[in-house]
Amino acid sequence: MSIPMTQTGSDSAARARQLRSLKAGDTAFYWATRLAAYAVLLLLGGIIISLIIGAWPALKAYGVDFLTTQRWAPSAQPAPILGGLSPIYGTLVSSFIAMLIAVPVGLGIAIFLTELCPPALRRPIGMAVELLAGIPSIIYGMWGFFVLGPFLANTFQPWVIARCAGIPILQDIFAGPASNLSLFNASLILAIMVLPFITAIAKDVFETVPPVLKEAAYGIGCTTWEVVKNVVIPYTRVGVIGGVMLALGRALGETMAVTFVIGNSFKISESIFAPATTISSAIASEFAESDGLHQSGLILLGLLLFVLTFFVLSAARLMLMRLEIKAGK
Amino acid sequence: MMTGAAAAQIMEHAKTTPHHVRIAINNLDFYYGTSKALKSVNLPLYANKATAFIGPSGCGKSTLLRVLNRMYDLYPGQRATGEVVLDGENILKPGLDLNLLRARVGMVFQKPTPFPMSIYDNIAFGVRLYEKLNKSEMDERVQRSLEKAALWKEVKDKLNASGLSLSGGQQQRLCIARTVAVKPEVILFDEPCSALDPISTAKIEELIDELTSDYTIAIVTHNMQQAARVSQHTAFMYLGELIEFGETNGIFTSPQDKRTQDYITGRFG
Repeated sequence: MSIPMTQTGSDSAARARQLRSLKAGDTAFYWATRLAAYAVLLLLGGIIISLIIGAWPALKAYGVDFLTTQRWAPSAQPAPILGGLSPIYGTLVSSFIAMLIAVPVGLGIAIFLTELCPPALRRPIGMAVELLAGIPSIIYGMWGFFVLGPFLANTFQPWVIARCAGIPILQDIFAGPASNLSLFNASLILAIMVLPFITAIAKDVFETVPPVLKEAAYGIGCTTWEVVKNVVIPYTRVGVIGGVMLALGRALGETMAVTFVIGNSFKISESIFAPATTISSAIASEFAESDGLHQSGLILLGLLLFVLTFFVLSAARLMLMRLEIKAGK
Repeated sequence: MMTGAAAAQIMEHAKTTPHHVRIAINNLDFYYGTSKALKSVNLPLYANKATAFIGPSGCGKSTLLRVLNRMYDLYPGQRATGEVVLDGENILKPGLDLNLLRARVGMVFQKPTPFPMSIYDNIAFGVRLYEKLNKSEMDERVQRSLEKAALWKEVKDKLNASGLSLSGGQQQRLCIARTVAVKPEVILFDEPCSALDPISTAKIEELIDELTSDYTIAIVTHNMQQAARVSQHTAFMYLGELIEFGETNGIFTSPQDKRTQDYITGRFG
């Protein structure tokens, strides 16, 4: 029995028509996706340009001094005196402390969930962490304002201040007076907010470790801790660092919750128990009533945040690239 | 079901051979949740001999191997009942130090599993868990292990390179070196050549043959020629039962059971 090699004329014409219509769909699809991708570039460029235009008057008036001036006096006469040092400092320090707390805790939760947790507990804890990510930031802000702040001011801070009195350096970092609204309060809130990101990403990447690799480590007599330390984390460090950087990006830009609890003080204090401000909270609390050079100064702050975040992400990329080269991949 | 006669024959074999029994498996049942994967398996593993587990996929041979170092313990719902006696001690008993057991019973896996670290550290890592060696002792241990795994010549100039940079066959030999380095008594091979090319396979087989003089070896394989080449004893398993056990020559030349005969002549599996 032979297989017909060519189709009849009408059939092949129909087939060609059909192919053409498919091809038109292909072209449309290609352009639709391509335009969507270009749109991102366009948006990014547009945002940068409008930020620069908005920040231009302040940039011209203050120049590099903006980065080193602490004083923020928008109603000074004859011209406002504006310096970004305090919000930049607050942004960096609050995010740093938040990461200091959230990274070990978040990784710990992820390790527990993937390596140690009894299966019956795995889902409830995993879901609780995911729900944590779903809480709107304003709620964290209110909780920090009404619950965490008073607790810190009345109980935690006096205790720490008393313990650290007389110890060099520590007595400056943890100095009184205790305050409801403080850099430390904001850092804690940020830590809680970024925790689910770190946990969720770490959990996902830990699960990508091939079981056989873990078995191999167990097979030469490793304990769970040794397997995690020597196999799971090295194997997944690129993903883990990615997750941490994503969390850091969120911490740097978080606005609402921080505005609630940081106290919006432009004075840089050595103590982390003192009120401070961050770039985003400064913009959020002042933008509505600002005009002229003051507004331009706030936009300049926004541009700085943009640059800061960009540098954090670039640094992460660079670090990952070097790690990968070192790992011989 | 393994007939009483077969079990008796196996026990008889264990009694009459001059070989020392390193591991004795007695009435072993194994469960994945509620499904039974091994049905009252009785089997001796002789010291300084290689025993091959053969049988069609799903017959339980890998499961049996994973009982011997309690690897199944990592997974909830998997459990074994019966007895596995290693040097007079039942390793299935609760409260056993699993990390120590796994140092005594090493395992080489189907796919090469180098750790994400340097070649040197891949080997030193396991040793450091149990022994405090100074630098020169450790260097020597690493070298000896790599020599044992017939890899030393190929890697001696790049011990600091990543273990992942080696070829598949080299990685597998690195894993064998790593296993040897912690001085186990028993080494389990779970289809160690199924991901390798023929030349690497030949090297590994040769290696297993050499290792037999120092260790007790159990190897799971789908390759009947391989079983014939590297093992002194062979166990044929089918549907979770041990069908036949004996000296490899005997199993391959004059199998007693019809199912063994069908399998080794390629009629099923």
